[in-house]
Amino acid sequence: MQVTRRQFFKVCGAGLSGSSIALMGFSPAPALAEVRSFKLARATETRNMCPYCSVSCGVLIYTTGDKSKNAKADIIHIEGDPDNPVNRGTLCPKGAGLLDMVKSPNRLKWPEVREPGSSEWKRISWDDAISRIATHMKKDRDANLVEKNAEGVTVNRWNTTGFLASSAAGNEAGYLTVKILRGLGAVALDTQARI
Amino acid sequence: MTPSIQTTPTIQIKSAAEPPAVIAPDAGSVFATRARRFEQLADGHVLADWLKFLATLTRAQHAALQSLPALPLPDAAALARAREHRMPPLPAQSWPRDAAWHAVLRQLVETVTPAAPESARGDLARLAALPPADLEAPAERVLHTELYGADAALLPYVGAALQVLWTGAAAQLGASRGIAALDVPGVCPCCGFLPVASVVRNAGAGENTVANLRYLHCALCNTEWNLVRVKCAACDATEGIAYRELAGDAVKRPGAVRAETCDSCKSYLKVVYQEKGGVDPVADDLATLALDILVDEAGYARAGPNLLLVPGG
Repeated sequence: MQVTRRQFFKVCGAGLSGSSIALMGFSPAPALAEVRSFKLARATETRNMCPYCSVSCGVLIYTTGDKSKNAKADIIHIEGDPDNPVNRGTLCPKGAGLLDMVKSPNRLKWPEVREPGSSEWKRISWDDAISRIATHMKKDRDANLVEKNAEGVTVNRWNTTGFLASSAAGNEAGYLTVKILRGLGAVALDTQARI
Repeated sequence: MTPSIQTTPTIQIKSAAEPPAVIAPDAGSVFATRARRFEQLADGHVLADWLKFLATLTRAQHAALQSLPALPLPDAAALARAREHRMPPLPAQSWPRDAAWHAVLRQLVETVTPAAPESARGDLARLAALPPADLEAPAERVLHTELYGADAALLPYVGAALQVLWTGAAAQLGASRGIAALDVPGVCPCCGFLPVASVVRNAGAGENTVANLRYLHCALCNTEWNLVRVKCAACDATEGIAYRELAGDAVKRPGAVRAETCDSCKSYLKVVYQEKGGVDPVADDLATLALDILVDEAGYARAGPNLLLVPGG
């Protein structure tokens, strides 16, 4: 028995003149000449999840463009992922319109803040946004953490801030969410996937 | 008196059911449909004569399959053992193939000879005259996918005859015992052979069918088996997968055939899309050799053979 690596097959222009096309009495020459009238277009399909509701339908995102040639990647189509057991390729009308959300001129693309008393939204950096949220959380926790109940038992409850986790988060993100929030004492912890 | 409790019946969501993992070939239609597709593709094609000849060959396969006698399948214990160990029940390289395929080969050769070019008739006459004992060596080459070397011109006919035998056996097995999925995705769950291409299928007539699922199509026995999309059939990679397609004014059926290329193992396999109408993994593959040539130039090698083509080189 011949043991080899997995075998690949080479179908190429140079080989065609010695192929069975020629051996069976046909001329492969026109096929070779025709090749130069074609270009090779490249597209990708990327799995993702519909961001709208707690059902978390799987989607396939079709993108054109050759990454290696500085061509701008462009999303051309989004459809339900037939392999996803949740939706088996189906999408609701809202999910079916996801491409319009991706391309929407009104789409939020960066963090913004509206200061107390202001009517204006102001663009801030991701670092500023995360620092701001952390500062607010710390201030609220420092002021309101309940360390012991009426009987003097240590409880460390932080009742004044709640957290709503994403329905698109996987097991690992869900684990980290619970570890961090419960570690801080947060009681009100819920996920979009439940509603 | 206790009031009866009204319960709401559970609503069965259709999509919650599992779609079929393996689809056995339909012996009554697989080659007839392929022959019609070859004819359709030949219209206006640069290799029209070759594709029309393959239509004749494929129609002869259909006729041969219809008159193929019932084949002796492995016994119940062997089938159960294959299933237990997730091995293909009719392995291409070790299932003792029935001698019925010799008659199939003669039938194919007889039918296609009048349609063959003058220069090929010598080969066909030689093939028809070979004693049965001398047919097994070329069969072994085909079944080991050694599609090169001396007498390469005979291999597509031998491959076509073996396709008829294995397709008949796969259809018989599918109808009687069913074909179970294997634990490796890259080879046929019926015969362990390589896929010729992928098919992204429309929803079928039966229950639990799901549109747009990808099935790999066996190059030998025409069994189809499910593999999730955006995954390399040769190495299981899910990163670095791209779809290459012919572009330009000369393209006749845009979107019907793409090459799924993998940057991990540098291989590709074509995908045909049923939603584009009437596609066949074998016929559409051979009608798009320009795609193979360009993808080869881009540095990818094919992961599965088409037994009707000896690629040369």
